Amino acid sequence: MLSALLYLQFHSLKNRLLMRFKRLKQPKYLLGGIVGALYFYFYFFRYLFGLHHPGPALPSAASPADLSLYESLGALVLLVVVSVAWLVPRERAALAFTEAEVAILFPAPLSRRGLIHFKLFRSQAAIFFTTLFLLLITSRRGGHAWIHALGLWLILSTLNLHFLASSFARTMLLDRGITTWRRRLAILALLFASAGLVLLWALRTLPHPDFSGFDPSQPLEPQLQTLKSYGHQILVSGPLPWLLFPFRIAVHPYLAPDAPAFLRALLPALLLLALHYIWVIRSNVAFEEASVEASRKIADKVAALRAGNWRAAGKQLKVKRAPFTLRSSGSPAVAFFWKNLISAGQAFTVRTWLIIASAGLIFCFALARTVDTTGLPTLAGMFAGMLLIWSLLVGPQLLRQDLRQDLLHAEILKTYPLPGWQLVLGELLAPAAILSAIQWFLLLLAVAMLSGSSGPGPTGPAIIAPGIGAAFILPMLNLLTLQIPNAAVLLFPAWFRLGKEGAQGIEATGQRIISMFGQLLAFIVALIPAAAAFAIVFFPVRMFLGLNPALLLACLAAAIVLAAEAAAGLLLLGWLFERFDVSVELAP
Amino acid sequence: MIQVEALTKLYGEFVAVNELSFAVQPGEVMGLVGPNGAGKTTTLRCLAGIIPPTRGAIRICGHDLAGAPIPAKRQLAFFTDEPRLFDYLTVQQHLAFTARIYQVANYEPVAAQLLDELELTPKKDALPGELSRGMKQKLVIACGLLHSPNVIYFDEPLTGLDPLGIRRMKDSILKRAQAGAAIIISSHLLHLVEEICSRILILKNGRKIIDGTLDEITRRFSEQTTEANLEEVFFRATGEKEEGSVES
Repeated sequence: MLSALLYLQFHSLKNRLLMRFKRLKQPKYLLGGIVGALYFYFYFFRYLFGLHHPGPALPSAASPADLSLYESLGALVLLVVVSVAWLVPRERAALAFTEAEVAILFPAPLSRRGLIHFKLFRSQAAIFFTTLFLLLITSRRGGHAWIHALGLWLILSTLNLHFLASSFARTMLLDRGITTWRRRLAILALLFASAGLVLLWALRTLPHPDFSGFDPSQPLEPQLQTLKSYGHQILVSGPLPWLLFPFRIAVHPYLAPDAPAFLRALLPALLLLALHYIWVIRSNVAFEEASVEASRKIADKVAALRAGNWRAAGKQLKVKRAPFTLRSSGSPAVAFFWKNLISAGQAFTVRTWLIIASAGLIFCFALARTVDTTGLPTLAGMFAGMLLIWSLLVGPQLLRQDLRQDLLHAEILKTYPLPGWQLVLGELLAPAAILSAIQWFLLLLAVAMLSGSSGPGPTGPAIIAPGIGAAFILPMLNLLTLQIPNAAVLLFPAWFRLGKEGAQGIEATGQRIISMFGQLLAFIVALIPAAAAFAIVFFPVRMFLGLNPALLLACLAAAIVLAAEAAAGLLLLGWLFERFDVSVELAP
Repeated sequence: MIQVEALTKLYGEFVAVNELSFAVQPGEVMGLVGPNGAGKTTTLRCLAGIIPPTRGAIRICGHDLAGAPIPAKRQLAFFTDEPRLFDYLTVQQHLAFTARIYQVANYEPVAAQLLDELELTPKKDALPGELSRGMKQKLVIACGLLHSPNVIYFDEPLTGLDPLGIRRMKDSILKRAQAGAAIIISSHLLHLVEEICSRILILKNGRKIIDGTLDEITRRFSEQTTEANLEEVFFRATGEKEEGSVES
């Protein structure tokens, strides 16, 4: 059996890598691969292979007392993770198999133990890559890479076994009539009892922290130092280190400063790992039925991810009310707008936004009136302004109710009697409208806060005029910036296929870097004509009509230029969509 | 109604469809059959405007699919073997969306009738995730028939349907043909093709082997004077041999 499983793992990995390498034959994907490889080399690999020394490592530079503290902290983190694994889940034990594995392995002459071994063996591949990834990150801080690697592997493997064993234990408890809530109460009681014990010891044994010199107008550093010292003593002395003993065993090898210390820490950690393994293997729990159901849900999630529908992948879809009644006559682009608003959810209905905007305005005026002297309105206004600017770049990446979501429905979309530009316009309307609504809200907040503040800088009409101008510009800018990732989807569709076979690995990282810089560059280039139109209108109008009318008219001119650019972009995207060959670009 | 001239689709050096020419008149139901990999689905996708042909011309109700794709696509509907639906739109919302795309005025009575015929009325507020495969297939059919297409393509239309659904699907196809639609059905179920198709086109390796009525192709490929069924004719036409069969 083991040889069959090794065969499956080896050839699956080999073929997956071969597929990704074959894709690199196309120059557009090769570029992503090169950029990704360079990024990984300069940011990670040169530290890992000792070609660059960033400085002394964390464990070797730390004193034994500090190491003990880090160990306790790490153990505390593990305790939290393990507690969550016992508290939160309520389903029966289900091993995550793919649908193919369920169809082939479950009817095969394999014992339940054999299936568990298969699952454990397969999870080692994921643990290996996770260890490698974490190692790449932590190696930038120097130290013995092999100690970190083995230490991480021990922690992750032990956790993996513990999660499995705990799921079996929970199922056994359910089979014996111990409900989920009774189990949760028992675990919480145990945790609170332990915390109570530690607290009681600390109150009785440790000198109380002295905050008598606390002065709110002075820096808080001495008080923070006192707290830190108090916490340190709790973590390294008294009952807590003993309560955390098993978790400390798991963490200790990772923090070993050198090879001898690592070897001393290795045996207890391996013993802990072995005990977990025995616990898993000896648990006699029926997981098959739950695993079949789990595999179906996983398949549905992967399919949803591949289709770009992250919301469907996250949780059970619910029926959403339509934002408005869609008539059967009128522009077909509105049908896509309507459809994608439904996809975006109830948060983006007109009524919701009117309520939020009204509440926001009332809050702003109240804040401006009551705390005018502290500068808080100015701060709030500036914060809203910063969020607005941030949303210009990040918003198009977060709101994906467009071609990125409908990519795998291209076959249906191609049958619709619509010219390409109209279909693309329809797809972009929803995210553009949502983003514009969010930005108008932030703009309203910023203008309300800044126009009424008594701080330095422009106030009143000098804020309102550019605010109104910005309100014209933002929707056009959003329509333009959204075209960039959608163009990328049409030009490089393989980069946007998520799920197990999709955008992972070095070339995917390279693609994201290229997309990020490409978007920034396109954004800057798109602003140039608009900036020119702004300048052409602003200076002459200012001479004759004054600053505020000049700002307003110049913003309007910029908005018109951006609209023209957006229209040209739509025609280009429409052309790209019309020549998009689904049988080539979306081939598995 | 459907005119195809020298349709060719190449993927690099691989020839998926090679110089395929045929025509389907109003009221005709043409069966498109062939072994796996013959090019049936590629042909249908080219005819639906989903993928561009490498060479050749396709005319739908007189409109050139390449030159005037919008009026051509208004006339047609394509039902794939795998139902493709939007996960977050209910049954009713799918129909509303389709009606707007195809500009179907006063679509509500037509939609209600289709939902009733396809037994989807109780599920009109359900999401695709709550539907069985057969129901999803029916929803796709409802959406496709909403704009009363004159040209209809089916790719394995009976997959996932229960016996009543199969009977109703066959009746629906014949009813649409009698109303004047030109229909192409691609299927491996030769008895279905034999039952409802007035003409048959056999493809192999992207090439047309023969195109004609069942009688015509039977006369061409039948070695006996007595009637042969489509299955035997298919095997002879494509040169496929059933393993282990006894040679007569």
